[in-house]
Amino acid sequence: MNAFDLLGFGEKGWGPLLLKGTAMTLAVTISAFVFGAMFGAIVARGKLSNSFLARAAGDVYTTVLRGVPDLLVIYLFYFGGSQLLSTIYQLATGDKGFIGINAFLTGAMAVGIVSGAYQAEVFRGAYLAIPRGELEAARSVGMSGWTMFRRIVAPQVLRFAIPGLGNVWQLALKESALISVTGLTELLRQSQVASGSTRQPFVFYTAAAALYLLLTSLSTWLFNRAEATAMRGVRRA
Amino acid sequence: MADIPAVSIRDLRKSFGALEVLKGVSFDAHDGDVISILGASGSGKSTLLRCINMLETPTSGEIVVAGETILMKPGKRGQPEPADRKQVDRIRSGLAMVFQSFNLWSHMTVLENVMEAPVHVQNRPRGEVKDEAMAILAKVGIADRAGYYPSHLSGGQQQRAAIARALAMKPKVMLFDEPTSALDPELVGEVLRVMRAIAEEGRTMLVVTHEMGFARDVSSRVLFLHQGQIEADGPPAELFGAARSERFRQFISRHADG
Repeated sequence: MNAFDLLGFGEKGWGPLLLKGTAMTLAVTISAFVFGAMFGAIVARGKLSNSFLARAAGDVYTTVLRGVPDLLVIYLFYFGGSQLLSTIYQLATGDKGFIGINAFLTGAMAVGIVSGAYQAEVFRGAYLAIPRGELEAARSVGMSGWTMFRRIVAPQVLRFAIPGLGNVWQLALKESALISVTGLTELLRQSQVASGSTRQPFVFYTAAAALYLLLTSLSTWLFNRAEATAMRGVRRA
Repeated sequence: MADIPAVSIRDLRKSFGALEVLKGVSFDAHDGDVISILGASGSGKSTLLRCINMLETPTSGEIVVAGETILMKPGKRGQPEPADRKQVDRIRSGLAMVFQSFNLWSHMTVLENVMEAPVHVQNRPRGEVKDEAMAILAKVGIADRAGYYPSHLSGGQQQRAAIARALAMKPKVMLFDEPTSALDPELVGEVLRVMRAIAEEGRTMLVVTHEMGFARDVSSRVLFLHQGQIEADGPPAELFGAARSERFRQFISRHADG
């Protein structure tokens, strides 16, 4: 069989499975990114707070999660998490059962919680980029804290955050490949399986690289478009 | 009930750390007053204005807006803070502020800037607000710029947009914090013309300014601040005529071409 048949959609082609793997990579990355945005927003809020405790907690989060290998976080969540749950289960019921946990969910959480550390810094920087006078103007017309957040702060944080978020998204997309260690059949795991059973690693890893590149180029293009739209009204230096 | 001052300030003091910027200021502004607040830089005039709508929290003293005293309470470290945020928000929406550096919201067009507070703070119907906003923009002479973002306007146009934003709230009192100080000299005139037109409508205005011409010709009363206290207070004809305060005379001679 030549490379085209191997990668094709014919009877023995791996095309459909590779596409499925690509879709899984996309799905797990989007989930991780959304988790990360939630953690990131909370942590950024903490780091901008007047409370010493909230600032310290935010610093610990970003320092630890940017300072340990991502693979370790995935192992900790997947294997550590399942051991923890099993122990609790055994203590509670007296059984000797074992609780496995969902690879998709733990993978997305693990990559998301790391992504959150980076997104927190992006959000914090974007908040600090809002001209102080515009916030003062919002207070001076009697806006409540929530209205000001919704109408003035959030739209501006988002637009100043887009370039940084584009970077973090791309990191998450590549880190999602690490989730393959838990057996989740995303793109990398799927190409491992394919190359193992056909003994054609060169063909399949090259194909996987091309698919990753397709995803990253497409998302770069999307982020650039979003940035152009959001930056209407901002004078460029 | 005959005459409740629009704004009444009682023995207002404000310190930043060890520096006392306002050392007991008291005055009343009545409906229709156009009060120019003059003074050298560091005299506390901007701080005074910013205390009135609580952008700065006074260290002590009382601020009464249309008969309603802004309630204060001791904060965590003993420094006073507003007791009721909702009261502050409500009072602020009746005191529109125009800033030295315009502070238009840069992610909104001029029209959106003008409509923002009436729609999202005062909860008035969008259609009605839009008609009013367009009329106000026409009045300040920038109706043709309604769809522009602030960064695409000149400084004078931005400040007129900011004045339109303030007017759209139908404020009882308008506060101007050095509205022409950040403008190129050739753009000052267009903003002063708009302010003069507003004054002639009988609006209550408190104007911190360095424009002697405006203070002398437009305002009904001049307050001269010196080192955190009111040094002179009276109608401009009186103060600018036979200026009784030696300090005020020195001050206006330094700003003679204003």
